Amino acid sequence: MGVATDTETVCHVPVAEGKSVQQTVDIVHKKLEQLGAVKHGSFCVDCETYHATGNASGQPSKLLYVMHNSETPLSCMALFEGGPCLIADANFDVLMVKLKSHFQNAKGHKVECRGSRYRYCDFLIKVGTVTMSSSARGISVEVEYCPCIVPGDCWNLMKEFMLSFLGTNVPELPSVFAAKPEGLFAPADCVDTMTQYLELFNKLRKLQISGSNVR
Amino acid sequence: MADAVSVGVNLDAFSHAISGIQALRSSVSRVFESLKDGMKNRDSLEGREKLFLAEFQDHLQAVNRDLSELERLSGLVGRPSESHPLHNSGLLSLDPVQDKTPLYSQLLQAYKWSNKLQYHAGLASSLLNQQSLKRSANQMGASAKRRPKVQPSTLVLPPHYVDDVISRIGRMFPDMNIELFRPNGTSAVLLVTLGKVLKAIVVMRSLFIDRTIVRGFNENIYSDDGKLDLWTKSQYQVFQKVTDHATTALLHYQLPQMPDVVVRSFMTWLRSYMKLFQASCQRCGRFLQEGLPPTWRDFRTLEASHDTCRM
Repeated sequence: MGVATDTETVCHVPVAEGKSVQQTVDIVHKKLEQLGAVKHGSFCVDCETYHATGNASGQPSKLLYVMHNSETPLSCMALFEGGPCLIADANFDVLMVKLKSHFQNAKGHKVECRGSRYRYCDFLIKVGTVTMSSSARGISVEVEYCPCIVPGDCWNLMKEFMLSFLGTNVPELPSVFAAKPEGLFAPADCVDTMTQYLELFNKLRKLQISGSNVR
Repeated sequence: MADAVSVGVNLDAFSHAISGIQALRSSVSRVFESLKDGMKNRDSLEGREKLFLAEFQDHLQAVNRDLSELERLSGLVGRPSESHPLHNSGLLSLDPVQDKTPLYSQLLQAYKWSNKLQYHAGLASSLLNQQSLKRSANQMGASAKRRPKVQPSTLVLPPHYVDDVISRIGRMFPDMNIELFRPNGTSAVLLVTLGKVLKAIVVMRSLFIDRTIVRGFNENIYSDDGKLDLWTKSQYQVFQKVTDHATTALLHYQLPQMPDVVVRSFMTWLRSYMKLFQASCQRCGRFLQEGLPPTWRDFRTLEASHDTCRM
């Protein structure tokens, strides 16, 4: 499977009041199916957090996130907090075990997002449940408009599409795209998508700490 | 009757000429036959040479004789008579068995019919040419005038002229990159890259656009063997739709006398897809209709609308 080279956005859908995560997911599924979207397999994104240890200079230790995406099953993404990112082969995980003395796995910080993929015309929609330490924390919706490679160009179009099944929860243009001069979704670059997932996970983690909007 | 007599004389001369040709052929083959046999089977060396030369000379003289005889006969045969309006086919009327082979009457019919056809085609072409850029008017069938047969000479424009026209059009639209290939013979194939939106392959016949296919900016335009892929359609529905509309545009823009204007109009129209994903429909004001952006561009105003909204 090729790497997607098109416009994607990942957003967080708040759980409807008085409903469980699963019930809210079902509502989104139903809306998509009413629109005419067809189910097209499932997907999974996961993220492990590592602390950099043995920092000689005494700076606060940086976090390293190692992520996998079922859309690119042979690769593994490593993102430094606010720093460079790396796309490696899938056996990068084994290397991380060897680097135990430098990077320590933060246990219990593993985040996973699983759900179904839907196809509607040239749109690819992924509705997932975000789980942290085996409890459902929130819902993610990823919308991809495959034919267009410049996110800024088709943003209005995507917004209208998301409006049709997400109601008022439509996000703004993701900052990963806004920051780029041309706003081009670079070829063979799934990093933009993973950055968005990471932002979402961190947001949900903070929500958990403050204790609101989570069941 | 006089015709029949002259033909009879001619026929006689023909049969003589044919036997003359046969004689010439056999004497020529005799020459080569003796050359092939060479000088073997003779007694003394001197005798051999003498005999061979004499034989060879005889044969050559025979050839010469037959040739001059044939030339004389060809003078008798003369040129076919051109007095008949249907030239040689007029001789068909001499066929005595009219009932079995009514070729002549059929020929006359066909001749009249083709004359009429030419006349009507001339009228139709002058009528159609009044409709400036339209290849298909609404009230008339489109297929009848698909091919500009009026001027077959424009089909054989020199390649460098085509190159010239295309490069001039390319300079007119800086946001449009036009590359020219000639993968098979002299027919040009254009690869048009429009911003970061789409890529279109335009197959030309001299300066007439034969067909076109539109694909996404990130889709493959080359097949596995490195050649331009002229056939695979886009995997995206939006570009399949745009391909359909581009084919409609090919049929619409038509001006046989000035094919370069047609190419320029088509490129101007294609360029309006620059804002394929940014423009909203001018009719309903929305971006999406059945999951597709406004894929239709009006041929004159170039305004964007959904395929379903344009009616």
